[in-house]
Amino acid sequence: MPDTAFWAVCLVVVPLFFALICFVRSDQAAVLGLLAAGLNALAALAMTVFFVRSGPLRYAIGGWQAPLGINFSIDGLSVLLVAMTAVTGLSVSMYARGYFSLRIGSAGEINRHGHQRAFFWPVWLLLWGALNGLFLSADLFNVYVTLEIIGLSAVVLTALSGKPAARLAAMRYLLVSLLGSCSYLFGVALLYRSYGILDMAALARLISPAPLMWASLALLTTGLLLKTALFPLHFWLPPAHANALAPVSAILSGLVVKASFYLMLRLWGDIFAQVLPFAAYVLLGVLGCGAVLWGAVQALLQKRLKMLIAYSTVAQLGYLFIALPLIRLDPGSSAWEAVILLIMSHACAKSAMFMAAGSIFLKAGHDRIDDLAGIKEVLPISSFAFVLAGVSLMGFPPSGGFVGKWLLLGVSLAGGEWWWGVMLVIGSLLAAGYVYRVASRLLVFKVTFFSRRQSIPPVMEWSAVLLALLALLLGLLAGYPLGLLEAGSPFPLHACREVMP
Amino acid sequence: MNTLFLYTMSGLALFAIGLHGLIRSSHLLRKILAANLMSSGVFLIMIVGACGTDQVMIDPVPHAMVLTGIVVSVSTTAVALVLVCLVQETTNRALLWQKRKRGQGGRTDA
Amino acid sequence: MMDVMGFFDIVLALALPWLGWRLLASSDLFRAVVLFISLGLLMSLTWVRLQAPDVALAEAAIGAGLTGALFLSALRRLERLSESERRLEHAGKREEDETIPPEKRRRAKPVAYVLSLFLLVVFVLLLGWSLGQTPGAKGGLGPAVAGQMGQSGVQSQVTAVLLNFRGYDTLLEMMVLFLAALGVWSLTRVRQTQQGEVPGPVLATLVRLLVPLMIIVAGYLVWIGSSRAGGAFQGGAVLAAAGVLLLLANVTVVRQVPAGLLRWALVLGPLLFLLTAVACMGGGGNLLEYPGQSAGVWILFIESATAVSIGVTLAALYAGGRPPAPSAPEKDNEEGPGSGVDKGGKA
Repeated sequence: MPDTAFWAVCLVVVPLFFALICFVRSDQAAVLGLLAAGLNALAALAMTVFFVRSGPLRYAIGGWQAPLGINFSIDGLSVLLVAMTAVTGLSVSMYARGYFSLRIGSAGEINRHGHQRAFFWPVWLLLWGALNGLFLSADLFNVYVTLEIIGLSAVVLTALSGKPAARLAAMRYLLVSLLGSCSYLFGVALLYRSYGILDMAALARLISPAPLMWASLALLTTGLLLKTALFPLHFWLPPAHANALAPVSAILSGLVVKASFYLMLRLWGDIFAQVLPFAAYVLLGVLGCGAVLWGAVQALLQKRLKMLIAYSTVAQLGYLFIALPLIRLDPGSSAWEAVILLIMSHACAKSAMFMAAGSIFLKAGHDRIDDLAGIKEVLPISSFAFVLAGVSLMGFPPSGGFVGKWLLLGVSLAGGEWWWGVMLVIGSLLAAGYVYRVASRLLVFKVTFFSRRQSIPPVMEWSAVLLALLALLLGLLAGYPLGLLEAGSPFPLHACREVMP
Repeated sequence: MNTLFLYTMSGLALFAIGLHGLIRSSHLLRKILAANLMSSGVFLIMIVGACGTDQVMIDPVPHAMVLTGIVVSVSTTAVALVLVCLVQETTNRALLWQKRKRGQGGRTDA
Repeated sequence: MMDVMGFFDIVLALALPWLGWRLLASSDLFRAVVLFISLGLLMSLTWVRLQAPDVALAEAAIGAGLTGALFLSALRRLERLSESERRLEHAGKREEDETIPPEKRRRAKPVAYVLSLFLLVVFVLLLGWSLGQTPGAKGGLGPAVAGQMGQSGVQSQVTAVLLNFRGYDTLLEMMVLFLAALGVWSLTRVRQTQQGEVPGPVLATLVRLLVPLMIIVAGYLVWIGSSRAGGAFQGGAVLAAAGVLLLLANVTVVRQVPAGLLRWALVLGPLLFLLTAVACMGGGGNLLEYPGQSAGVWILFIESATAVSIGVTLAALYAGGRPPAPSAPEKDNEEGPGSGVDKGGKA
């Protein structure tokens, strides 16, 4: 009898299974990959439906209950993030199908692009399965293994482009990822040493201030911040995200950095929340402010479109960290809702933006912003997608970004800490600046735009525009996903704990 | 108990030396060696934790975690080493920070 | 007797960081790698001292042996690359790249160097203090594991944790290994440089003698894993060592393995593991919940399949790239034998 847990298991098993099959039958990789993406989206939908019906749930893998075995913990937060991954992943997959067949069709080098396609699918499916596994898992060490899969596959995907710059970026990414996971593992080891337990919910009940706990928290946080690329640890992100292939950039910026931030939310919003002083949250918030300013200013200075988008990711990640002290301030749950809306709308908008930029790159043959004037004449839909996604990043109504920032603004004013609000507004203005800088070029009227003859497949343009549209509509439809959060959330803090045996 | 603490400190020192090497050494191969040292240090601390005192029996869970960790680290090392060779092949040196500006100078790919 | 062992412990605990330090400080990369391998061997001695025989076996075979072989072959390839580079440029002006900058920088910025060292020492002392301060949780999950051993289907606690209680971790770990092979294959292709190279008579004899023996040992390790130290990873690592030996000896059979078969061999373990995990749900159980009393059989089945895949995957990682179109991998011949024999001895 299929239920929430059955679909949750499917969400992990199906992508892994297809990744293995894709590797063996690499001639059919694209078809199998799309099939897996479709099945995954279906499973995510089914899980959401069942979740709404029956509420949060714990699932004991192997039949072994929490302290001994590994459990899935399916609550509002994980369901929302799995759904976000499914939607973004599905449209990136469709885009990737068009992207690779276009490149294989147009270039003489069938070998190179065919090779890229043959390896893109299995690695991406592994990444997808690991993302789902991470969002569903309730076990700190299991999370480490999924983090390793995510990090390693992100590196492999980055290097897939084969360009020297991409290889260097991948190397740096790999080293950062190694350092991050080693630090995380150390933290887990120390936690296990002091509490003898790996289950998150059980741990949350045991946590008490002690020197070893602080050490492990510091190590866990450092590892995750490295992987989330919080300013000033962001140095590896822009080259990696900008030099990867377009669908890979969309995956990296939209989904991969969210994985480690999700863990930050679990640790700082739930497990360690009782013992952490407010000052620690403020510190992260201040770093977030730094990210917003630095990322946006760097984005304004970039000459290349993909670099600009990558720096914009640095800035947008800053908002998520600004939300952390506000979560702590907020007696209700609107800061939580805001941060989840921001995560979701950034995933959609940023993936759409990278996808549109990829189409623009392929059509124009370059991505120098200054020379892109008038490209809307040849690529109207992609340019439109870019601008739509930009609206969400700037936080204009009715986008998801707007609602998220509006909620945060409300919390910061109500809590008497208005300066966070000021930072949000400044960040939005700067974002408007860099989006305007690109949009003003893209949308300028110019009769002749010299472009390559190849035509971009409609699926590439439409998948980007639909995703951007979704980011925009997320603001209008915010009630539905947030209702899901209410239906079975770990928040307000510690509500879910009773489920534990 | 004292011996165990000594091993713990030894693991910590390995971690710190690895961290230092990962950040400070310039050759990529040495960086990867350093990362391996770091994880060895963590493994050591985990296994020492599993020993506990004489009355308590040995905890097999850290042993399983370390086995997993060893396999994970050989996997990442293999990928990293191939990447190092590729970096050397394309840029003629196995260094992370190239003389020209930080790898951002090159063309981005679509 | 106790005193001797205690003294041995002290020497070991001091030698580990000292070797680590020497290894990173040495200007010669080859020396650093050799030191790394000896550090790995000392680590596995340490595991024996800390009563972790499973980890000791895995460390010796994978941590020291295979990782060391990987480093040696990468070093060899780097040297070959820089040699051809040098020949192209007619001048050895690149030489300084590898050795001098670190020293130079250290002399140039002693303040930064001392500062980072100082920070690290503070870090170690703080962590050491906090570790000493907090008493560990007594036994961790040990009692829980011991309590459920009856239902685990095996006698070895570590195997029970790896394949039953926390089997899902191991499943994902197999995916990591598979991903590594995918990554290496996606990045590069094995070059056919020494096609005609014939192994010396010693190596050929060694291979003929050792490889069958190693396969038997691997099978034994998988079998014994249910009750004592050993299991899929250790067995797989020994298989991998056999594979590495075959690669070193440049045996034609290895080169003629069809690419399709190789791919299936890589996938076999994780795929069967995954399918078994799902099949467990057929009878109404959870994922990986072995039905009834059959856990032992399932675990042995999974272990055998994964051991084969682990062996093939690790050997493929050593080969360092996807097989070239016409034939299968073959690799370096100069640097490797030492490490290969090393492994043979351990097996």
